[in-house]
Amino acid sequence: MKSRITELLEIKYPVIQGGMAWVAEHHLAAAVSEAGGLGIIGAASAPAEVVREEIRKARELTEKPIGVNIMLMNPNAPEVVKVVIEEGVKVVTTGAGNPARYMKDFKAAGIKVIPVVASVAMAKLMERAGADAVVAEGMESGGHIGSETTMCLVPQVVNAVNIPVIAAGGIGDGRGVAAAFLLGAEAVQMGTRFIVAKESIVHPNYKEKVIKAKDIDSEITGTSTGHPVRQIRNQMTREYLRLEKEGAGLEELEYLTLGSLRKAVIEGDTVNGTLMAGQIAGLVSKEQSCLEIIEELMQEAEAVMKRGYEAWAK
Amino acid sequence: MLEKVAALLKEQLDLDNVEIKAESSFKEDLEVDSLDLFELVMALEDEFGVEIPSEDLEQLTTVGAVVEYLKNKGVEE
Repeated sequence: MKSRITELLEIKYPVIQGGMAWVAEHHLAAAVSEAGGLGIIGAASAPAEVVREEIRKARELTEKPIGVNIMLMNPNAPEVVKVVIEEGVKVVTTGAGNPARYMKDFKAAGIKVIPVVASVAMAKLMERAGADAVVAEGMESGGHIGSETTMCLVPQVVNAVNIPVIAAGGIGDGRGVAAAFLLGAEAVQMGTRFIVAKESIVHPNYKEKVIKAKDIDSEITGTSTGHPVRQIRNQMTREYLRLEKEGAGLEELEYLTLGSLRKAVIEGDTVNGTLMAGQIAGLVSKEQSCLEIIEELMQEAEAVMKRGYEAWAK
Repeated sequence: MLEKVAALLKEQLDLDNVEIKAESSFKEDLEVDSLDLFELVMALEDEFGVEIPSEDLEQLTTVGAVVEYLKNKGVEE
């Protein structure tokens, strides 16, 4: 499956791994790139020097291109931008904000810029600001989310911009990939399925929660703070949602989630940790290598499209 | 121009029973989030025939700041 995205990013398959905080570190990013997709290091709120180390360690594992996701809301985003440029990273995806003010520097460094967008207007303005592509991310995604669904957002963004669109949110197998392409996307970004990849350093307890999750097991916390987060429900989300219902302030809510993602990813605390995952966790059923995941996705997607053509369009 | 911007805001963001003043902060007073701001920029561009580059969005924190910004862009009263 070739598209403008595979050409733009010089990758074999139109599959991009999401820039998940703590999860998207060098082992996972390198494995995804090595398998022919685009691996991404999620800078999240890590110090800039840690991001530099992660980039270098990923390079020791693969010669293929890797990207970095920069969370713009993070106060140290300017330093992370600097590191990314200094390290010669070729692709940047941006989340939680507007990357326009860094665009000139990115362009001068020859970096492809792919903002994650949650609305049509944002996609249009990002295209005009010089973005090379956009990720249209629906609220089915895990972690920080917008409010539109992938099914509705992707075709509208595709109509609104001329640059290629990458679909994200709710894609977990080849059927999802095929559906995204039929909506007009030219690549997919996936997070949840890569959480449980063999190369992912996520604690086995967390992986098991994702694998065992059913369709209705995710919950959105933080709606009252303006920063909703999707995760698998557990003691933590019950407590958080109870506090939110009682009208708890930002401080109290933030105290509850302080370091909670680390607790889940590194320590495997599935009771008090934040188990970020998308709605598609219900479909994710086994741990596989990144190569197995990506090749299976592509084979399934092609088979589904052929079957669809035979059955409905011939 | 304040009236014109206020009217646009009301229409764009469905702020029917909200008083809009120059010092109204988008975030604090009008509960306009970042995505709404992108919508607003598109509407302002259509209405006033200017181009507002995305890197300027950070300056547009209050209704008065928008008016000032448009004036600096040469938009007449």
